Amino acid sequence: MLRRRATAISVLTVLTAVLATGCSAPGSDSESSGDESGPIKIALVDAQSGQLSSLGAWELKGARLAIDEWNAQGGINGRQIELGVFDDQGDPTVGTNLARKIDSEGYIAMIGTAESAVTIAMAPILKQAEIPNITSGQSPGLVAVNSEFLFLNGPTSTTYDETLAKHIVDQQGIKSIAMISNNGGYGKGEHDAFLKALTSRGVTPVADQVVTTDQKDFSAVLTGIRQKNPKVIFLGAEEVESGLIVKQARDLGITATFAGAAPQGTPVFLDTAGAKNAEGTIVSSPYLSNDINDAAKKFAAAYQAKFNEEAELHGAKAYDGTQILLTALKSSNVAGGKELAEAIRATKYQGLLGDFAFDKTGVGIFVTSIGTIQNGKLVAAAS
Amino acid sequence: MQVFLQTIVGGVSLGAVYALVALGFSLVYRTMGLVNFAHGNVVTVGAYLASTFYLSTRLPFALAMVVAIALTGVIGLVIERVLRPLENRDFDLMLIGTIGFGIVLDALIIMIWGATGRAVPSPVPSAPIELLGLRIRTYDLVVLAIAAVATVLLVLFLSRTKRGAAMQAVAMDHEAATAVGIHVGRSNAIAFMIGAGLAALAGGLVGPLLYVSPALGGALGIKGFAAAILGGFGSIPGAIVGGLAIGILDSFMAGHFQGYGELFTFLIFTVIIMVRPTGIFGERTVNRA
Amino acid sequence: MRKKLAVVAVVAAGAWFLPYGLDSYAIHVANVILIFAVLAIGLGLCMGVAGQVNLAQVAFFGVGAYATAILTTKAGLGFWVAAVLAIAATVAVGLVVGTPALRVQSHYLGIVTLGLALAFTNWVTNAQVSGGAEGISSIPGPALPGVDLDSEYLYYYLELIVFALALAFGLFLVRTRLGRRMRAMRDDSLAAGALGAEVPQLRMAAFLLASVYGGVGGVLYAGLIRYVAPESFGIANMFLLLGMVIIGGRQSLIGCVVGAVGLALVREGLVDHPTVAQVAYGAVVVLVVVFAPTGLAGLPARVRAALARRRQRQGAAARLGPFQPYPAAGSRSSGRPMLDVSGVTMQFRGLRALDEVSLTVSEGEIRGIVGPNGSGKTTLFNVVSGLYRPTAGHVRFRGQDMTGSRPYRLARAGMSRTFQNLRLFGDLTVEENVLVALDRSPTLASWRYLLGPISILRQDRALRRQAGDLLDRYGLTEFAQSPPRSLPYGIQRRVEIARAVAAAPSLLLLDEPAAGLNGEEVRQLSEIVRSIRDSGITVIVIEHNMGLVMSLCERITVLAGGRVIAEGEPADVAATPAVIEAYLGDSMSTDDLPSVPEVTA
Repeated sequence: MLRRRATAISVLTVLTAVLATGCSAPGSDSESSGDESGPIKIALVDAQSGQLSSLGAWELKGARLAIDEWNAQGGINGRQIELGVFDDQGDPTVGTNLARKIDSEGYIAMIGTAESAVTIAMAPILKQAEIPNITSGQSPGLVAVNSEFLFLNGPTSTTYDETLAKHIVDQQGIKSIAMISNNGGYGKGEHDAFLKALTSRGVTPVADQVVTTDQKDFSAVLTGIRQKNPKVIFLGAEEVESGLIVKQARDLGITATFAGAAPQGTPVFLDTAGAKNAEGTIVSSPYLSNDINDAAKKFAAAYQAKFNEEAELHGAKAYDGTQILLTALKSSNVAGGKELAEAIRATKYQGLLGDFAFDKTGVGIFVTSIGTIQNGKLVAAAS
Repeated sequence: MQVFLQTIVGGVSLGAVYALVALGFSLVYRTMGLVNFAHGNVVTVGAYLASTFYLSTRLPFALAMVVAIALTGVIGLVIERVLRPLENRDFDLMLIGTIGFGIVLDALIIMIWGATGRAVPSPVPSAPIELLGLRIRTYDLVVLAIAAVATVLLVLFLSRTKRGAAMQAVAMDHEAATAVGIHVGRSNAIAFMIGAGLAALAGGLVGPLLYVSPALGGALGIKGFAAAILGGFGSIPGAIVGGLAIGILDSFMAGHFQGYGELFTFLIFTVIIMVRPTGIFGERTVNRA
Repeated sequence: MRKKLAVVAVVAAGAWFLPYGLDSYAIHVANVILIFAVLAIGLGLCMGVAGQVNLAQVAFFGVGAYATAILTTKAGLGFWVAAVLAIAATVAVGLVVGTPALRVQSHYLGIVTLGLALAFTNWVTNAQVSGGAEGISSIPGPALPGVDLDSEYLYYYLELIVFALALAFGLFLVRTRLGRRMRAMRDDSLAAGALGAEVPQLRMAAFLLASVYGGVGGVLYAGLIRYVAPESFGIANMFLLLGMVIIGGRQSLIGCVVGAVGLALVREGLVDHPTVAQVAYGAVVVLVVVFAPTGLAGLPARVRAALARRRQRQGAAARLGPFQPYPAAGSRSSGRPMLDVSGVTMQFRGLRALDEVSLTVSEGEIRGIVGPNGSGKTTLFNVVSGLYRPTAGHVRFRGQDMTGSRPYRLARAGMSRTFQNLRLFGDLTVEENVLVALDRSPTLASWRYLLGPISILRQDRALRRQAGDLLDRYGLTEFAQSPPRSLPYGIQRRVEIARAVAAAPSLLLLDEPAAGLNGEEVRQLSEIVRSIRDSGITVIVIEHNMGLVMSLCERITVLAGGRVIAEGEPADVAATPAVIEAYLGDSMSTDDLPSVPEVTA
């Protein structure tokens, strides 16, 4: 026992000595972002492993494509652009680590992430470090963060679902609508946005069911919906889960049309649901297909040539976001911090998703288009 | 009433898969006293193997399953060999060792097949059967039938063959079994191989029902383990009943409590285990002082 | 000892000066690592020290973090107030999660705690108050007058101090009475209960400790990251935490810390290759479990043991000293019944192990219980000592009906026993084995740990003195610091008797104390048992060595097929026809035959 007390005393003595001598707090506040030479460092933070890694891979390709185009034309002010890739594993805690890491390593701006929860976790740190961030998330929660350094490279769920509700309720006159959404970040945002769009039109959904993100059996939920016999079922869930819901719904004899935002237009959704089951699904998306206009065709061709696979929405969004960032870097003369954020806000850009003009919430685009799945392909709806 | 019955139908179809997973848990446990926490990940391996042969090499589904079961059985043998020093020793160490194995398998799956997963089209394309307003998928019936056949075969193997009888003897008393000349190591290896085969069967069958991804087996493993314990750990009929029970419970909780379903499933499970730790068919083990 | 002190001082100074060499990202990593280290200590206390499988540690972590977040952002409380309430909330959750441990153990407990942890993440993902899947952001950080805790460098010192306190308290706990009792329960909960350790309370204490550490970790996390979301408290992080504890060595808190720091650093180094990192740490967990169950922390001890083994072959081995008899107490036989068993029946499924067994043992007696194998002798002991609840009948101990009481209650009432196949606490030293029995303080009195170490240390010192005296009496002083497993069988038997007597019983049950002993050891045993009785302790012996029974016991009860077939003085019993028949019917083995006592040399 004596021994331990002696140990404690000695430790205390050492600590006091240390306190007395080295009273200055550690930590040098050397900001290395004002580096005037060498490549311009841009960070891409996304899930490169785990469940959401496909999103991360697509984002990386879109961003890479844009940066390579700029570098091929000589970069910005003669400086090349360097893309640092970081893996957030879809975990917000890892995200906060990475936010500090890109700060300490002197990155000037950040692209990503594709998961709103991770971006929301990182936002306060990036705001403090004054690092502008263009995210691919679409949750209304991103706007609620209220950071002047956070920008969205696409519309929010509010836009997606407002367009969708307009199409279904106003144009097609359908009022008998059921909702299934999951309790994940994406699903909850979609649920709230679509419900709001319906409520503002005086429509109450006949059913409003919530499932978990890893639920596998939807028979109870779907049987309940079947009894209500809705015309349209809104899906607020990611690709795979939406696909499972559609498959099980058709097996239960539900013939209603499905509707949803971007995930319901993807090949993964089609594969999981089965093309026949997904036929007729109504999709609200800012980027319906690769041949919607000349810019999209050009982007899709370049994407195909570089990565040997077909371009899709997430790549296009990241491409747009990166283009906006690079344009702003050029117009602001490679300024960092607040100045760069202001330059991004001032950038008007005609992109693959439409015309970007950022408001003070950091959202730059407020339109999506309606498409339907016909013969296993997403095509623009005749309006 | 219709919702009630349809919920049961939905629960039974996944329940049959849980039962197969639970069967693997129980078989390995009763034979060698090892709780294989990596079992869920073995299910994933089986699901990937079966879907790979089915989709890529275009084997007929049944054949793809057989190949997948055989290959996964071999993986089971490898795991058994590595973990052999732990058999019939500290329970907690075993549990952790198999968790470690699960972590490795999980990462290997991602390395080999990627993190995104794949959809497997149903091998039985015919339309669901309509019965009194209930709709039952034909594939569900196939899954149930296969699960039933697998159980019967397993019981026959254990009761009618020499090897099976030897395994039963090891299950009862491994020291006495050694004394009468039964090769305990071989018996354990076979148990593990069959366990892994059952996991592959479950994984392969569940593939077309769900979506094959690295996370597939984790959820099935936890539910399957809960099912095995609920039925009575180590008991064959217990695994079946427990599997179906967990499937139906899960289905009802999801229907009733929506997003909170899982919370209530596990709370109910905990309460049942506290009231009756030995499960439905479990034997009260006698502590030898 | 001087070396140890120097190491501690160097490590402390290193930790203190560490921030001066780190950039702003590295200090953040260091901060996260310290939090994991606190969590690992908590898990180590629960799993490694108390042996309670706990896969809900990450949920405790989450409850602490979420409670802080909710109380600061939604209820508008200050950080420190919220922190205290958050830890209290975590403890409440910890006690709920721990309740199943009262009923189930090992893998059952594993799946239950894992299920409850999943239930927690499910709840926070759904509930409005916890912000759903998007979690809660902009949590206000802690404020201290004069110190800017927004700076991660200064936050590091806050964490470091908390961590040092947490580690010091943990180490203190492990080495003193509560920790010793928990380790005893881990090694053998049956034996610990039979020595009076309140197993249910100890199990709850384990979960309580785990939840306090989890809560502290959660509070620190909320203050550091300022954001909480369900993913951070998921199963992957639970397994990571488990990996830290196992790789480091779960029975050593220092090991847990080393594992946490090491694994976190490896993970940080491989941050761009998380899959590779996963394969690596999974594989290390498997290898550690198979080849080095005590983890990194156990390696020095293993090396030392190997060296010691080599050295011991040359040097003189420790010797068993002679037993020094107790001074005889005055009047030994009052004739009052000490134990009264009436009509006890014990039914296991199809087997009736005891059938209406009745016997009375009076104070100061040495009673022998004999019978062929499977006649129900040990079952009778198990019923008497509370391990089994009899199907029918009553057990009265010192005039009180104690039928079906928990073993620790009986032990506290003055009953002590040994076991047929030795149940010493394998990972405790001989001295600690005895200390567990000597310590009669109730586990509930452990709240005194909150008052500081002084009174606990004082009591511990007193206990050690008593232990020294006792070991001296039994000639075991030279083995005081050895793990019992390393000792010869005969010495282990003696340790077990010393341990049983240390519990200061009025009734001592010895289950085949002579099994495996040689002739000289049997003679010593007989001397020890007599002296124990002479000191005022009533003794009941189950024994196959008929020579010993005939010479030692004043009365003998013979069991066969679960019934009492004879009782009386040794010579009378040996002549009873029913007894001879029972033994011949059982087997022809002559060892078991009661015969005229032969003189044991």
